[in-house]
Parts: sequence; C-alpha cells; structure tokens
Amino acid sequence: MSDAPLIEFKGVEKWHGSLHVLKGIDLKIGRGEALAITGPSGSGKSTLIRLVNRLETISKGEISIDGVPTAGFTGRRLRELRTEIGFVFQQFNLYGHLNALDNVSLALRKVRGVPRGKAEARARELLHRVGLADKAHHFPSQLSGGQQQRVAIARALATEPKIVLFDEPTSALDPEMIGEVLSVIRELPKAGITILVVTHEMSFAREVADRVAFIDGGVILELDTPQKFFGAPTHPRTRRFLQQLLSPLAVGEA
Amino acid sequence: MGGITFDFAGVLTGQPGQWLLAGFLMTVYVTIAGSLVATLLAVLVLGLRVAPVAPLRWLAIAVIEVFRNTPVLVQFLFWYFAAYNLLPQAFRSYITGDHPWAVLPVSNVLLAPEFIASAWGLGVFTAAFLAEELRAGLNAMPSGQREAAISQGFSYGATLRLILLPQALANSWQPLVTQYLNLMKLSSLASAISLAELTYQVRQIESFNAHAFEAFAVGTVLYLLLGLVLGQALVAFGPKPADRRGSAPAAAAVQIAEAHGGA
Repeated sequence: MSDAPLIEFKGVEKWHGSLHVLKGIDLKIGRGEALAITGPSGSGKSTLIRLVNRLETISKGEISIDGVPTAGFTGRRLRELRTEIGFVFQQFNLYGHLNALDNVSLALRKVRGVPRGKAEARARELLHRVGLADKAHHFPSQLSGGQQQRVAIARALATEPKIVLFDEPTSALDPEMIGEVLSVIRELPKAGITILVVTHEMSFAREVADRVAFIDGGVILELDTPQKFFGAPTHPRTRRFLQQLLSPLAVGEA
Repeated sequence: MGGITFDFAGVLTGQPGQWLLAGFLMTVYVTIAGSLVATLLAVLVLGLRVAPVAPLRWLAIAVIEVFRNTPVLVQFLFWYFAAYNLLPQAFRSYITGDHPWAVLPVSNVLLAPEFIASAWGLGVFTAAFLAEELRAGLNAMPSGQREAAISQGFSYGATLRLILLPQALANSWQPLVTQYLNLMKLSSLASAISLAELTYQVRQIESFNAHAFEAFAVGTVLYLLLGLVLGQALVAFGPKPADRRGSAPAAAAVQIAEAHGGA
C-alpha cells in the first residue's frame, strides 16, 4: 500500500527500572494489516503492544497513530485514543460483576454516551458475530475460557476501533477452545481492522498474518511475510525458536 | 425462702416495660442514623484515600487513623461536650427547640444533642473502618480489571465507580456487615452521653427496682435478636460476589470439605 502507515514506531525504547525491555524498535504497520508478533517469554513482545494504547508509556522514541505522535496525549484525548484501539488480554479480564451483554455495552454507554437501547442492540449484534448470542445474560463465571475470550473480543470491538491488540489471546485456553477464538480473530482484518497479535500459535501466524515479527531481547530480529518467515528465516535465533516450537523434544539433541 | 427467684414481670411490664421498649427503639434509630452517616462518610473518605492527588490521600489517612485508633467512648465525649458547643448558637437553639415531627415512638426525640452527637460519633468511627475494608477489597481486585477499564477509555473515577467498587463491595460485604453490627453494639456506649437507648434504660430499671439480673438479661437478649436480624438482613439483601452467582453459596466450602475427606 502506498499510503502512510496507521501505526509507526520510531526508535522506541522502553525501560522497566534498570531493565531494558525494548531497544530501538522501528516498525510500520499498514491500514488493515494483520501482524503476528512472536518470541520467547520476556522478549518484550507484550510491552510492544501495550505501548500502542498507552497501557504503558514509552521511555524514548515515538509512536504515531495516523501520523500523530501519542506520547503527549493526556486526559480526554488519551481516553478517546483508547476507545479507538481495542485490547484483548491473555486472561480475558471480563468485568466479573457484569453479564456478557453489559460487558460489551458498558463502554459504549459510559464512555461514548450511547443510549442504553442502542448500545445493547450493538452488543447483541457483536455477541452474535462471535457466536454467543445465546449467552448474553451469562456472567463470566458461567462461561468457558473460550467463550469468555470471545466476549472479550466483542467487548474490544464495541466502540468500532480501527486497531485491535491481542496479548497472547489463546495462551490461557484449553487446546480444544483455541480454534473458536482464532476463527473469530481471523475475521477482523477482512472487516478492515488492523490487528497486532502477540501469539505462539504458529499455524495462525502462517494462515492469518500478513507479516510475522520475531522479537528477542527487546529487538525485532525478523520481520517478514509468513512464507519467508517460516520458509527461510534469516536469523539463527529465529531458526532455533521455530525449531523449539515445532518439535520441543528435539532441542536437547541439537 | 432464701433461694434466688426471678421476677421478669418486674421489667417487662409497667414503667420498666415502657423504658425497655423506648430504649430498644432508640437503639434501632441511632443504629440506622449512624449507619447512614457511616456509609456516606465512608464513600467520601475512600474517595480521598484512593485519590490520584497525594495530599488528599494523606488527609484521608490522617482521618482514618485518628478515628480508628482512639476509643469511641472518648469520641462520643468529644462530640457531645466539646464539638457540639462550637456549633452556631442559632443551630443549637433550633436543635433544642420543639419539633413534633422529630419525635418517633416511643417518645424518642431525634432532634436532640444526645442523638445527633451519638449518630454522628458512631458514623465517623465506623466510616473509618468501612473505608479501610473497602480499600482492602479494592486492593484484592486483580489488576486486569483496572487494565481492561483503562484500555476501554474509562476515566479514573468511572473505573472506580463502575468496575472496581461494585466488585470490591461484593467481595468485602461480610467484613462490612461486621462493621455495621459493631456500630449497633457500640451504640450502647452512647448511654455515657445520656442517649436514652437500651443500655441507658436497662440501668435506669436497675436503679428503679433493683431487678439488675432480669433487666440486663432482657437487654442482652434484645441486642442479640437485633444483631441476628440485622446481620441476616444485610447478608440477604447485600451484593453477592460474582463467582457465587448461579451456584450454591456454600459450594466453595463444600468443595474444601470434600477435599479434606469430609461430607
């Protein structure tokens, strides 16, 4: 695409105290792109996406969305930015005291000021879209992990964000529930939504992502299309990481 | 002759009976008024205690520590003998004036210095504990709830009000009920500033006809009944933690019992 990137990282550094989490990240993400981010735990990949909606603040450098640097945003402007970016957590983090319908509609009503009837209609539509129309009045504690995560995705979509960030969305799920969640996520780029997905699901990265990034030690070591990423990874660390994921038991013998 | 005999009719009928009823009702009134004051102040103090501005938090900490760590009896004496006299003269004249609408059965005057100092004193004392229980409930919330709210664009206040507090309230409801029950029991100390509540009336009976045992026995039973009813009502009508919705309340306890080989 020729137009300007939707999200742009320029020399982004992040320190947690004395820990250097991200070391000079440069990254451009286009409109409607699906970017999978992978890497060993502690590599900084979660921090990377948490910087985009300012769940964490950058230490140095710049992140722009639609060409506008977001570091200076405060108060109302920052909250507006966040309603334009959905976030889906590893642990779902559904509001425990609210049923699925209220979980999805709350921000519409209380942040965007949409009247209850309209907000609930939109929430029902989203629950239908993630296949949970019949669970609208269930509380999170009455839903399986996969169902909770699908409600969380519906919640993230409520304010019609142009970006949705996923932080290991299937890592807390039983294996048989991973598919139902991934199949919901894969529909989003088709609707023009840009997604950044931190994941270890390599088959998902291969099938859904436009590009795959490999991060280790706070540096993007590899960034390419799935074909090249999986077919001919250039960095030895990427090769080792992929080997480990594909056949965990073989590592000791290598 | 010579054995111990009890004369409960001597405290349950006639003038002593009237006093008991009036005292019991006064205990109920001051408990309700004190609970309302405590609840409102607790919300205020908690708001300051978790405010994003440090001096507000320090103020809340100071208030909480002063009222939690001094005897409530001393606080009653302070409000009644010291603070009350600092109120404007016009206000005090109004309070001590005749207000038929502020007289509840049986001849209990609510617009009186004793009642106001007692309800206020109980309220302030209990608010300090309620605020701390609620704060403990807030601190026990998983950080993911706050992060989810922030990521959806909720402001600090909206996050507290819509997402964190409702859950903290449900999670800390049991200890909060205990604080309301304590308030009811501590109202007995208001007899020291001449509030004609149950304990005050029981002592009046004792000096009236020397039925000390009977009077204190009946008084104790009335406190017990009030406490049981109040406690049950607060639990029944109070908020329920979300993880207990849709399952039996005792499910967790049963699971633990089963895990230990019990029934």
